Amino acid sequence: MVDSAGLWSMEPLLASRLATHLKNSPNGEEYLCANSGSGNELEPSIEIESNQIRSVDSFDEYVSFQRRIFRVNLVVTAIAGILTIIFFDSNAAISLLLGAFSGILYLRLLAKSIGSLGKTSSSVSKFQLLVPVVLILAVSKLAVIQLLPALVGFLLYKPSLIIQFLLEPSA
Amino acid sequence: MDSITTAASVVAAGLAVGLGAIGPGIGQGSAAQGAVEGIARQPEAEGKIRGTLLLSFAFMESLTIYGLVVALVLLFANPFAG
Repeated sequence: MVDSAGLWSMEPLLASRLATHLKNSPNGEEYLCANSGSGNELEPSIEIESNQIRSVDSFDEYVSFQRRIFRVNLVVTAIAGILTIIFFDSNAAISLLLGAFSGILYLRLLAKSIGSLGKTSSSVSKFQLLVPVVLILAVSKLAVIQLLPALVGFLLYKPSLIIQFLLEPSA
Repeated sequence: MDSITTAASVVAAGLAVGLGAIGPGIGQGSAAQGAVEGIARQPEAEGKIRGTLLLSFAFMESLTIYGLVVALVLLFANPFAG
């Protein structure tokens, strides 16, 4: 991220690089002579600013994409929970809901680490893998929670992602 | 649980996590590399690139999670324990 002060300090550097590039290119000196004093020196900084604005808009698009996935995930979880209560017992439904919320938490952590990729970190964090570990440990310690419904609930984020990908018009 | 079953379960758990993480690790590395290169070339497409990266990472990492689940089940809820 380059702030406005950094942008002004970069401007002479960019202008000198542009001048060097134009001098080395064929007919570059003629271009420099013809355009000297016409205000074209500010063009690189304007281009950088417009790129930053477009990048911020595009990141907002990513945030709204996350919100849509979250909503679809909640809907899929609710449908699966109702079906489990109808066709199985309440313990299975509790296990499935616990697994589903673990899956939502896992996906949020994964989206957060992907959002920071290339900005604050150079690799994707593995912190989200602790979520299934804690889920399995909880299953092994608590007798109320069953293993299979919890795992199915945890993996409910995958149909949610597929549904969201199919619903996306430009995907 | 007898000692042979315990030893086999521990070895199998280690193999499940270790071998199961190799493929997704390589795939995630190359996907992240391509995504960062794409964002650097086209900053205006950052949102779409990150969204696609999220989808691919979620599906790739689930392979690691399968291995992790098998390993944890072998360690903490072993069905072969007598």
